[in-house]
Amino acid sequence: MNRLVTVAEMTLRELLRRRGVLLLLLLMPLTFYLIRRDAYLGQSVRSLLLGVGWAVSTAALFATTAARELEPRLRLAGYRPHHLYLGRMLGLWVVGLVISVPFFLLPMVDGADLRYGGLAAALLCSVAVAAPFGMLIGALLPRELEGTLLLLTVVTVQMLIDPAGSGAKLTPFWSSREIATWTVDDTDQGYLSRGLLHGLVVTALLALGVAAVASIRLRRRRHLRHLPVG
Amino acid sequence: MNADDWLRTLTAELHQRRVAADAARHVVAEAATHLREGGGDPWVVFGPPQQYAGAVVESIGTAPGPRPGPVRLHAAGITKKYGRRTVLHDATLTVRAGQIAAVVGANGCGKSTFLRICAGLMSPDAGEVTVSGRLGYCPQSGGTADFLFADEHFVLVGAGQGVARGPARRAGRAAARQLGWEAGGDVQARHLSGGTRQKLNLTMSTLSAPDVLLLDEPYQGFDQGTYVNFWDQLSRLRDAGTAVVVVTHLLNQLDRVDIVLDLTPARETGWHAPGIQGGRQ
Amino acid sequence: MDSDRRGQWLRGVLDICVLALLSEGESYGYQLAQALDAAGVGPIQGGTLYPVLLRLQKTGLVTAQWREGSAGPARKYYRLTDDGYAALRAGGSAWLTFVRPVNDIVTKGATR
Repeated sequence: MNRLVTVAEMTLRELLRRRGVLLLLLLMPLTFYLIRRDAYLGQSVRSLLLGVGWAVSTAALFATTAARELEPRLRLAGYRPHHLYLGRMLGLWVVGLVISVPFFLLPMVDGADLRYGGLAAALLCSVAVAAPFGMLIGALLPRELEGTLLLLTVVTVQMLIDPAGSGAKLTPFWSSREIATWTVDDTDQGYLSRGLLHGLVVTALLALGVAAVASIRLRRRRHLRHLPVG
Repeated sequence: MNADDWLRTLTAELHQRRVAADAARHVVAEAATHLREGGGDPWVVFGPPQQYAGAVVESIGTAPGPRPGPVRLHAAGITKKYGRRTVLHDATLTVRAGQIAAVVGANGCGKSTFLRICAGLMSPDAGEVTVSGRLGYCPQSGGTADFLFADEHFVLVGAGQGVARGPARRAGRAAARQLGWEAGGDVQARHLSGGTRQKLNLTMSTLSAPDVLLLDEPYQGFDQGTYVNFWDQLSRLRDAGTAVVVVTHLLNQLDRVDIVLDLTPARETGWHAPGIQGGRQ
Repeated sequence: MDSDRRGQWLRGVLDICVLALLSEGESYGYQLAQALDAAGVGPIQGGTLYPVLLRLQKTGLVTAQWREGSAGPARKYYRLTDDGYAALRAGGSAWLTFVRPVNDIVTKGATR
């Protein structure tokens, strides 16, 4: 448990020292919200949620690529793969939750009339999905540039795709979009439950993906035998 | 040969004769002081450095280092290909506790690859590695977290062994001091100079007190003083029973080393000679 | 003087001479060498003197301490231990007992 918490803590410390990433985390969702503010409320809330998702994913991507060289040494130092990826995920989720607070308050300050319970749920979904999503991209693509481009593509698709369309449910942040609809419009509870389910499933799938890649990359190699000191 | 060269040769001779690092340093310092006060040619005042080193050894004896102990690392038949290019062919190395092994060879002949295979970070196409005890590894570059302080690195590595924060920090700073570096303070790793960052890199690999230490040319960016401290540190580790493997392309320290593995392949036919385990004992 | 023979003689007595000089007070290598030269024993090279000092230190007859000089580099100062004083007394009287008859014989023969 201590190993996991230590990794989470160091992830947090690293992120807090990266001013660029912090700026991103705070400005991007704000900018997205402000751009759509004049439009219909639902648009601005959905933009805000997408901004949060994108920002946290990017932070996750950067954290993962930065740690890549360090992980083999940490393995040798006694960490198991699950300490490393779960610890990082935990740290990223904490960061996501912390930055969600001001963005939860933002529409409130702006006098928006919506179901704040739904807003909270949607923010939670965005953060929950974003962390393992960014980590998976970082684990699969070697450089931050390619990862950022992929994230950009996904976010754009997410923004443009028709949520009722057939392929929409394949986009990672569809859950927060669904819940946003329930938050802003006077729709039935089905949107909320569908969204939460999607969020849960996608988070679990992405986390499993991260676990799989990490376990393969950091696996104990068969050619190496470890004997106790004799 | 001027006085500095004579003193440097004396240092090397004392190390080769396994005089304890601290005693050797005193002997050299005293000789340096004597020469400074009285002047004169060291070859006249002390004689050839080999002879003086021999006389010193007769007087004070050698370090009570352990006779080479049990086998700590045994790599046999390591073969690695990248596509059609064979990087390693049947490389073999056995290192015992209390020995230093140097892996040498031209650039690109697979030294880093061999080390990574021994560390378990890469799989070979054939061959086996057996390690007895804890493994430590220092990559050639990188290996540190840009945005963390040195202390935080120590805590991170220490937690892997279940070491608490305070002791991990203390151990890290002590190990850093051996390399002539005061760690601690609030400097992020990316703001450290190249040489200092390498010291951090090296310190991290020795922190868990490994039984087998694999070092991939870790002295990039070291100044002369740190380089000397580094080899002193290796001698100390060796005397304490660690098995050390150093990848190096600098051949002038091979007199401090027990085993040499030369991975340079044969050139003419493209046939790669098996790694020979040669060396002095 | 035949340097081989002088070397042999020195090997026999240098340690006692050093102990004797140190009984007057602590000293360091270069100073001891100069004192020996001034006393007429002849120039003692560092390569001869320091191994002796190291051996005396190892057998516990002297202790050593590094100190910053008043002007100049740090020096290693040696001083006698109690064992050292005892060894000096024993070795010194043994030497004097040995050398007296030798002096007598040689004086008679060399002045003939």
